[in-house]
Amino acid sequence: MAERPDRDTGRIGLYLYAIGRGIDDDALAHTSGLREAPLRVLEHRGLAAVVSDVDLDEFGEDGLRRNLEDLHWLEDVARTHDAVVRAATGVGPTAPLRLATVCFDEDQVRSRVEQWHGPLVRALDRVDGRAEFSVKAYASLAEPAAAGSPAARSGPGAGAAYLQRRKEETRRREQSGQDAAHDAEELYSALSEHAVARRRLQPQDPRLTKHEGTMVLNAAYLIGADEPFADTVAAEASRWPELRVEVIGPWPPYSFATLEEQ
Amino acid sequence: MTDTAVAAQARTTLPQDVALVDLLDRLLGTGVVLAGDVVVSLAGVDLVRIRLQALLMTVRGPEEEL
Repeated sequence: MAERPDRDTGRIGLYLYAIGRGIDDDALAHTSGLREAPLRVLEHRGLAAVVSDVDLDEFGEDGLRRNLEDLHWLEDVARTHDAVVRAATGVGPTAPLRLATVCFDEDQVRSRVEQWHGPLVRALDRVDGRAEFSVKAYASLAEPAAAGSPAARSGPGAGAAYLQRRKEETRRREQSGQDAAHDAEELYSALSEHAVARRRLQPQDPRLTKHEGTMVLNAAYLIGADEPFADTVAAEASRWPELRVEVIGPWPPYSFATLEEQ
Repeated sequence: MTDTAVAAQARTTLPQDVALVDLLDRLLGTGVVLAGDVVVSLAGVDLVRIRLQALLMTVRGPEEEL
């Protein structure tokens, strides 16, 4: 096994996009890897690791620490990674790797596949013929109490009234939040009836997404490839008219091709 | 079953339409992790921290600290 180099300068590494079954070089001939590098498939015990060469100046440990702070770099790499994973998903069952998994040579890739062979096979069995859908639900909560300085300008009575009003607004907002959370939980469970597997992700920060309302559900479902899940979501969501529901998919099975602990 | 009265919006996405935040939710938060000393990949926690920092920097501008 190769030793880890002290310096990455001028060295080539292998970026791993995904591990799947039934994927070969020809199937990926029309898709490019990062920085337009050609994709290669490394076979090991019936599994196919999709890789391309990367410069370790850019993708080594130091390069990653530096570049992951750069949003444009991150977006470019994430979209290329996703495009490769989608191409592989179109050919055979695919377990996508987490962003920025880099090995130093082919032996290291194969030794990883060897080490995780059982869990990989089980993950691929789980996602074979299935796709991931994202379901997000948003609620319009009661307006938060207006921020401002305590209204003390009109004497003690005004101050007490202000505090009472603030308290009432806070209570209303909390109640509204609890109702929305309850609705979201019910929707999440109702949709689970139609799914092979489900998973809740953290609600997204509105500063990142600029969504309106409060995201009360950010869920992922694993669905049989031919099922009309978007229609199912639309039908179920009509039972909770207070929620705005968005379904996106199909995705590669990012949230479900996970490896159990060995 | 495309009833326009229902609240859900369904759309089939092409890769370029996917919101970056949705993509990073998946590429950084889940996915197969091949742990081991020979894999150059930062710990999940580190990546999440970096992700939020990078994105929030862009949203808020670089002058504001997290």
